[in-house]
Amino acid sequence: MENVVELKGVTKNFKGFSVENMNLEVKQGCITGFIGENGAGISTTLKMIMNLLRPDAGEVNIFGMNYRQHEKEIKQRIGFVCDSNVYYEGLNVKDIKRIVAPAYKQWDDALFHRYVDQFELPLNKAIKKFSKGMQMKVSLAIALSHQAELIIMDEPTAGLDSIFRRELLHVLQELKEDRQRTIFFSTHITTDLDRIADYIAFIHKGNLIFNYSTHEIEENYTLVKGSLDLLDWETEQVFVHVHRTSTGFEALAKNIQDVEHTFGNDVIMERASLEDIMYHYKGGMKHAKFNMA
Amino acid sequence: MLNLIRRDYILLKWQILIFIPFVLFFIFFGDHLDPAFIFLIASFYISFSTYTYDEKAETNRLLNSLPYTRKEIIASRYLGGMVHMIVAIAFTSALLFIFNKPYTVTDIAISSALFLVFASLFFPLFYVIKKGFFTPVVIISFLVISFIGPPIASFFANHVTAVTNFINNLSVPALYSGSVLVSMFIYAVSWGISVIIYERKAF
Repeated sequence: MENVVELKGVTKNFKGFSVENMNLEVKQGCITGFIGENGAGISTTLKMIMNLLRPDAGEVNIFGMNYRQHEKEIKQRIGFVCDSNVYYEGLNVKDIKRIVAPAYKQWDDALFHRYVDQFELPLNKAIKKFSKGMQMKVSLAIALSHQAELIIMDEPTAGLDSIFRRELLHVLQELKEDRQRTIFFSTHITTDLDRIADYIAFIHKGNLIFNYSTHEIEENYTLVKGSLDLLDWETEQVFVHVHRTSTGFEALAKNIQDVEHTFGNDVIMERASLEDIMYHYKGGMKHAKFNMA
Repeated sequence: MLNLIRRDYILLKWQILIFIPFVLFFIFFGDHLDPAFIFLIASFYISFSTYTYDEKAETNRLLNSLPYTRKEIIASRYLGGMVHMIVAIAFTSALLFIFNKPYTVTDIAISSALFLVFASLFFPLFYVIKKGFFTPVVIISFLVISFIGPPIASFFANHVTAVTNFINNLSVPALYSGSVLVSMFIYAVSWGISVIIYERKAF
């Protein structure tokens, strides 16, 4: 499978925060969810993928090309949905289209109007009068109307009601059927990903912890529960993080075989949700008790 | 690139309607004003209206996510500035002509040269000054320069006589075409500076 996005050793330093030596691949024809807590480096990474921000070191390749030589060719093939409204608030959808459409060689007006109808967007109303969900729909309609091969979205479901979230996921599902299309989007709502994502990239404090298929996550990560007397320095090494309570412990492990080997049948293993994984990694940093992948 | 210049007129369609009464106001109530000043104000009106619009929106994020290079975005600003100036001069000339107010090509040359010099100063500032501060900075600096510019110029004219003599010896057409050329050179330098600033920005 070809990689549509490739980040090699990408580093970006800010005061008090940095994205460190990131190696990330986004596979063609798949939906990849990009997760992490607030301030983990998601927006910084997406901006570097969009060339809105230039890395201090490392390489960003999109469709096998770099931005230095092929910026326009790359962006012709990307549909980008920002986390905030980037369009002129005083304008209506019709005028926004008149500004954006001529930039794209493959703009498909019929397709755009299909999305306008599907999302029930009024063409002549100023965008500042739209709700956040409606503004997101405008961005989405525009991003989907120029035959983009890569759709990048920064928090498209944030602050939206559950009905619109379902509608959006339905649209993404439809797009997924076209195997040429790659979708890469960040979200804090991990349950959205359970339904549609093929791959999950998880970033924590500027480091990419993993970029696995949902199947690989299920095969590797597990939530372990057991009594406190099973824990000692040695047995704890199989866990990313351990949470102790008065009645026992709950821990996250990233290798099921290691857990079976260490504890046998003395513990209960459950499927770890993405939220469990994020929670334990966050806790793990606090307690400095995990070995990073 | 032309699309980006066209964008300014889509954004400004309502402001353009106010443009005509705006210019007429100066024509009727500014009898004491030099026509060159009216041309200059009109040129400013269109160019800076697009900037004030862009200041309110996340335009840089939008434009940079579209298939344009940063060099093209800046080029559209500078070429657009010249297009807006020509449009403003054409409209103002027509209005002055219709209302029978005299003006000369010299007025147009002076206003064009001044517009290019002012724009050369202000355009790069847009990419440096914090969002929300650009418009007040431009208005205040424009007024300050208008007040202190002429006394400074006459001070230099009296004290740096070599330059004054050189200018006095030039024929009138040479003087005006020379100033337009010099201001275009300054504009080109400003363009280069804006490209350098913009290439380094993060959005």
